[in-house]
Amino acid sequence: MTIGADRYGSRADTLVFLACVALSVAAMSVPQTWRDPIAKALRQTVLAPLLDLQEESELLRTSKARFAAIEAQRDSAALAATFLPELRSENARLRGLLGLENRLPPGYVAAEVLPQSLPTSPLAIVTSAGAKEGVKPLAAALSPEGLVGIVGTVDAHTSVVVTWAHPEFRASAMTSDGSVYGIVAPHGTAGGGVWLLELRGVPYRQNVPEGTLVLTSGLGGVFPRGIPIGTVVGVVATNEEWEKTYILRPAVHPAAVSHLIILTGPHAGGDLRSAFEAAGEAP
Amino acid sequence: MRRTDKYRFALVLVILVALHFSVRSRLGDERVAPDFLLLALLIYTIRSKPGQSAAAGFVVGLLRDALAPASFGAGALAHTLVGYLSAWGKAVFFAENLMVNGFLFFGGTWIRNLVVVLASGKLRGSMLVWELLFWSPLQGITTALVGMFVLWAFKGWLAIRLADR
Repeated sequence: MTIGADRYGSRADTLVFLACVALSVAAMSVPQTWRDPIAKALRQTVLAPLLDLQEESELLRTSKARFAAIEAQRDSAALAATFLPELRSENARLRGLLGLENRLPPGYVAAEVLPQSLPTSPLAIVTSAGAKEGVKPLAAALSPEGLVGIVGTVDAHTSVVVTWAHPEFRASAMTSDGSVYGIVAPHGTAGGGVWLLELRGVPYRQNVPEGTLVLTSGLGGVFPRGIPIGTVVGVVATNEEWEKTYILRPAVHPAAVSHLIILTGPHAGGDLRSAFEAAGEAP
Repeated sequence: MRRTDKYRFALVLVILVALHFSVRSRLGDERVAPDFLLLALLIYTIRSKPGQSAAAGFVVGLLRDALAPASFGAGALAHTLVGYLSAWGKAVFFAENLMVNGFLFFGGTWIRNLVVVLASGKLRGSMLVWELLFWSPLQGITTALVGMFVLWAFKGWLAIRLADR
């Protein structure tokens, strides 16, 4: 079939195009309460087999990686067995690497991230765990390094996590010693892949040194207390005389996350500092 | 065009969709990995009228918006525009040449990302600049390379005449 002048486009083509543009603009304009059910319906019908395919693919990829890791561990164990005095320290190191899952109190579910390719994908990520796995809206999504985001929409077997990079994300936060409180919000980038956060609303007389770890405060009852959010790297120049805003380097980048832990139990009033402190001590 | 050509053409598009949801996540950073779904749309537009291409773009975009709810509607608008302009541009301006098609895939990817970030309004400042001047061109290049390979490997199935120029 040759490409020729018969494909220049008729009036009908133009009308179809304009109709699609109008529908797209309408889709952008509908309120959030309409968008979520539409997106949910599409994910549960047309996209369901494709998401299943993606989930299976992710599982296969993970399985291969785990197999390689187990092979490496087996080889390491065989080597370590020849050096008995080092066996105990090797054992301790492997125990440390068991991960955050073992340190968290009961009530969580592990989920794979199903990556998408639009530029806005890191702002809201689709995961492979949904209502059937016990995920509920407003649950905290974590990685071993810290806070990733909060669950927005929940389908039967998938859920959408609004990450901290989303412009509307906010979290009540505090410094690791509990002396300074504020609100964490996304800030922007400082390079191609370096997204930053900011700690707002810190009283002007309170100073937060660079390198200070910032955690969720537990205020508001959404996030449990003690989840790492980021580390202070500077202060924003401002003319306001009653508060300061600090720049944070995030504990975890949403685009780099392949697996998540979503809290499903009654963690809201709890304190997870010990779980993450143990993670930091692991060799 | 023979009837079997039509099925082969559809098969290539189905393979690209399957690759998008199975292999793509293993091809490195998701901001750089080739966009097989957009590639399927662009290849579809090579043989379709602008109206059909715009409608196909709208459907693909809306489905993607369901998977990236942060920019709901923006993907539909972007894919509609890219689908229509690609089909129209192919008919009016572009020769059937492998390199020209490569540039079409690159431009389509970049314009799609441009429209998504501008229409969604979610990326601003340096995030917008980095997305448009660094990540999107890289994704455009990888998508174009894969697209050129697909056109070259399946040119008989796609019933596309690639000039030797």
